[in-house]
Amino acid sequence: MNRVVKTFVLLFFMSVVVMAQGFKVKATGSQTFNFEDKNGRNQMTFFSATPLEDITGTASGITGSVTFDVANLVKTLKGTITVSVASMKSGIDLRDQHIRGANWLNAEKFPNITFDIKEVLDVKQTADNKLEFKVKGDYTMHGVSKEVVASAEASYLDESEQTKKRAPGDLFGVRAKFYVKLSDYGINNQLIGNKVAENIEVSVNIVGSNKM
Amino acid sequence: MNKKQKLAVIISVSIVLATIAVWLLFGGEIFTKTQVLVEKKDELFGWTEKTWEDKFIWGLDLSLLVSAISLAIGSILFFVFRSKKNFNNQQ
Repeated sequence: MNRVVKTFVLLFFMSVVVMAQGFKVKATGSQTFNFEDKNGRNQMTFFSATPLEDITGTASGITGSVTFDVANLVKTLKGTITVSVASMKSGIDLRDQHIRGANWLNAEKFPNITFDIKEVLDVKQTADNKLEFKVKGDYTMHGVSKEVVASAEASYLDESEQTKKRAPGDLFGVRAKFYVKLSDYGINNQLIGNKVAENIEVSVNIVGSNKM
Repeated sequence: MNKKQKLAVIISVSIVLATIAVWLLFGGEIFTKTQVLVEKKDELFGWTEKTWEDKFIWGLDLSLLVSAISLAIGSILFFVFRSKKNFNNQQ
């Protein structure tokens, strides 16, 4: 009897774990979400501490798409997010020119920053349409690719009158954060003669639609 | 120091003090900015997103530049006025 109870409990927890790997929404099967946003609301934010003044900047030129099975995001999530270096802004024109310049990101030679999704780890279901997880992928910047692990939170919204105001179709919103080490990407951490932190915090807030 | 020299010094120092006051009033930022990041809440997803808004922030760099120009012009005027007085005395 004891063994039956233990088996039942084990099966229950296993089913919970399996169920917690996807969204419980109206949509089913494989869905592809496009992140191109003509309004420029999709953005990557970068933060760096410097001895003089902390730098917070954004990049709104985001494109790319992801594909996943709604019921099993963990094993099926694939895709690439691309950020245009030319769209990076830090609030000071001279600094922006320097960021895009040959001594930093070299936008002319390496116009895009990309993140290729490889694997989803440590999934936690926080609501029927919300998941928290870690996503491992190749981050390519300044022509150098390195594997990074980002902490992410994803929400799946079925199409409604509210979502239509943003974009047609179901919406897939992702918020992620990770750190990149400038020297790993062959970038000198001097910006207009001012030393910036070696580690840059990168945050991403993007919303994709499956009808774009 | 004659009256004109005194006036040049007073004006120069006043401009320097004014730039410091303006800099402090604008929040004591190091660099001058023409845009600032403003956080807005995304009603659909509940997170905050950052948007750029046009706003001029007077930075320490601009204060230093204006102060330097003011002091340079003040010094030149101080010298010019002194030279004129000395030249008149010699005659």
